[in-house]
Amino acid sequence: MFLEVKNIVKSFGSEQIIKELNFTLNAQNTMSILGKSGCGKTSMLKIIGGLLSPDAGEIILNGINVANQSPKHRKIVYLYQEDLLFPHLNVFENIAFGLRLKKLPENEIIQKVNSIIASLELEDQSGKMPHQLSGGQRQRVSFGRAIIINPALLLLDEPFGSLDAGTRQRMQELFKKLTKEFDITSLFVTHDLKEAILMGDQIAFMQKGRLKVYQDKTEFINDKETGVQDEIGFWDGLKSKETISKH
Amino acid sequence: MRNKFSHIGLVFFVLIGVIPFAAAFIYALLYSLGIVGVLNSGFTLQHWQTVLASSEVFKSFGYSALVAAISVVISVSFALWLALKFRKEFDQKILSFIIYLPLAIPGVVAAFFTFQLFSRAGFFSRLAYQLGWINEVSQFPDLVNDALATGIIITFITIVMPFFVLLFLNVYKNERVGNLSELAYSLGASSKQVLWRVSLPVILRKTWTLIALYFIFLLGAYEIPLLLGQESPQMLSVLIIREIKQFDLSKISEGYAIAIIYTIVVSVAVSALFSRKNKTLNEI
Repeated sequence: MFLEVKNIVKSFGSEQIIKELNFTLNAQNTMSILGKSGCGKTSMLKIIGGLLSPDAGEIILNGINVANQSPKHRKIVYLYQEDLLFPHLNVFENIAFGLRLKKLPENEIIQKVNSIIASLELEDQSGKMPHQLSGGQRQRVSFGRAIIINPALLLLDEPFGSLDAGTRQRMQELFKKLTKEFDITSLFVTHDLKEAILMGDQIAFMQKGRLKVYQDKTEFINDKETGVQDEIGFWDGLKSKETISKH
Repeated sequence: MRNKFSHIGLVFFVLIGVIPFAAAFIYALLYSLGIVGVLNSGFTLQHWQTVLASSEVFKSFGYSALVAAISVVISVSFALWLALKFRKEFDQKILSFIIYLPLAIPGVVAAFFTFQLFSRAGFFSRLAYQLGWINEVSQFPDLVNDALATGIIITFITIVMPFFVLLFLNVYKNERVGNLSELAYSLGASSKQVLWRVSLPVILRKTWTLIALYFIFLLGAYEIPLLLGQESPQMLSVLIIREIKQFDLSKISEGYAIAIIYTIVVSVAVSALFSRKNKTLNEI
């Protein structure tokens, strides 16, 4: 397995927010993690990304336990809920940020950044500052900046939560395209049922600090706790009412 | 209705802010050109020629700019260090109260404290004597009314630095520098890279206008250089007031000429500063 998370536990004061977290993920796969606000999703991602320390447990990435490594050495990138761009850098420099840290030659940086900018369909925006971009464009820059450093694992924390429905759909499609193009392994946290089903090769549901990973999408859909059945019931009910009213 | 209020506001601004300033400026200009004034007898450029030929004015300008620049650089550097290093500690009530305290102390009181603490007859001199570090007062370094303006710089830092700490803490929070730093770590940055590539550029980009305005404010400071400065060179405001208030009434016109030069230099600097700031805001 590419990623193995074993027995991770985390408490803040007397409250245990992550309870015995265990799961595995294959390389180049995406695991959707569904959960309500405050269930421990963000803390889980931050622990895996090294931005929070677990109280116990192991995070094995490509055979190496990275639980005690600093974020710098993990090659795991955590993407915030908001499209958090560096406000003092333009689009090109935001995307080039990780490459500049590695002090790569200028020619290589220009070539790699321009290539990513083309993949993200941001050719005309490279000189613009973050405040001059739309929400969708900012989110694309945020992706590009993460992907360009070729991370071992990408952690996405409700990345499309603040976008309108149309932009959200386009971003979902773009993300799917990019994960294939750049062989990305990722954990995709969302509170949107449809998005969880669409984006994940594997699906998990988090509730009160416990993560349940499903064998397949059918098991996820049939589990009453996930709320999929209620959703189906709602739409079926609506459809029946419409049919009756037409007759 | 809203338009009416904005017009009244504009009238008040012109009445209180623009007209008195413009009247004072015109009066100073006329005085410096010999058109008004007790001993003046008509238009002359003599006072301006005397001022421009004297090295004292330019020395005073350079001296004031240097003292203000050193004070601002030290205050900003120290405030940045405090804000970034002890950010969480400043959330505590007592510390946040203590940092506000110096802001309530008037400049003249701060200068008096500096004099009491750092002069040769002051607290630290006596302490050094009691500890046996010095045998007589003259061995204590000249920290007040000295050529290096040590006393002035210490006092400027004391009154300005707390403001910068509060400003930087606020910008750190509003610009989400904490989250940006986490993101930079996640992208592979070291602590040093986070400081130089994220924290400092983000904070300074947001605050440089205020830093520049503080420099201008210190450039024209009066009470502190008056109490803690030396005879020559003097800081600008002290020099101007000295010229205007001295017994030789013919020197008053020269004092006004210096004041005009200072006003023009500062006005041009502020205009340049704000035209750039407005340009940035328009881009947003």
